[in-house]
Amino acid sequence: MSQYVLVRIIRMDSVDIGLFEHDRNNTLYFYLINSDEQIYMRYGGRDSIAPDTYLNLESLEVALKQGLDLHEKYKRGELAKAARTKPAFPKELPLLVERTFARNQCVECHLIGDFQNLHREKDKTLDKMTHLYRSPDIKTIGIHLDVPKGLVVKEAKVAAALAGMKAGDRITSVNGTPVVTFGDLQHFYDKTDRRQAKTVQFGVDREGKAEMLTVALPPRWWWTDVRYRQSSVEPRIYFDSRPLTEAEKKDRGLRADGFACEVTRLDSFGTMMKSHSLQVGDIVFGVDGVEKDDDVNTAELYMKLKLTPGDIVKLDVLRDGKRIQSALTSFRLSFRK
Amino acid sequence: MRALFLPALLALAALPLAAQQDDDSLTWLDSYQEALREAKATGKPIFLEYRCEP
Repeated sequence: MSQYVLVRIIRMDSVDIGLFEHDRNNTLYFYLINSDEQIYMRYGGRDSIAPDTYLNLESLEVALKQGLDLHEKYKRGELAKAARTKPAFPKELPLLVERTFARNQCVECHLIGDFQNLHREKDKTLDKMTHLYRSPDIKTIGIHLDVPKGLVVKEAKVAAALAGMKAGDRITSVNGTPVVTFGDLQHFYDKTDRRQAKTVQFGVDREGKAEMLTVALPPRWWWTDVRYRQSSVEPRIYFDSRPLTEAEKKDRGLRADGFACEVTRLDSFGTMMKSHSLQVGDIVFGVDGVEKDDDVNTAELYMKLKLTPGDIVKLDVLRDGKRIQSALTSFRLSFRK
Repeated sequence: MRALFLPALLALAALPLAAQQDDDSLTWLDSYQEALREAKATGKPIFLEYRCEP
């Protein structure tokens, strides 16, 4: 650590969020950079289970050593200079200025991301699959890392295994962009187009030999549990569900390709807010008459993607074998009033 | 080790922020511009941490 200039920033007020662009729902995030503001690597990233799944003192040590190597290369002119991103600052977000700067409140990291999304919602450029469901989980495509060793694969399953990834491989690039740490890997994997991409390419080092692996992306590869994010553009609908299997849908006379789901948990806020009158065990199979959408596997996810907080919809529900209709009012989470 | 990582960093972060000195005599700056100046003067790379205030 003594070979670095150490700086800790806890307020985002004057940070160039164009240069330091990352998923703002990370508890900690580090950059290794130089005095020309060239980013060597990011260290951070998380999954929906815990903020420190991928944070580890050994992997940090590995990253710090790699950072020094890259710095020496940069000084020798062996590292290409990266193009400077367009600067952007929190004060360019009017809603953030109105609700935090103007009240002399702390501009927290997660507020930057949330207010960026509120502006996208207002401008009708919000794409929830990209902007809300950030940082897809690499475990969904079967990549399990040996965390203390950085980007060394501990186990490859499903799609990654089918592509030929093996334990011991060290991931070196994502879709052609070099990566050094899990923070880099998650950041650049997140850039994968949610709708157009069918595959993602991983460069790996296998016992000193470079290999390129093409991993096929499964349906909803981008989906993660976003409840920890506390986002105000995600409509609050106050229930959890599980998708029905095709056989279960057929047994109940529902379309096999539909998004019918069974309510598995009710959030007490839903009762308090009079959001809906769903019960555990109810099958929700339609939302305002829609029963199918290619992007989703449950009515719950359909509503989270398609509704704007505050929208009221009519649900088609199967309760004790009887078809009923039930209203649901969605709500918006508000941080600062 | 994983369980110790965040608490260890949080403990470090609890120190006073302005040019804080930890037990290993590491000096933490709280100004990005100052870090750039120091990196230019010393030739060192920068370890930049973003974190929410505890």
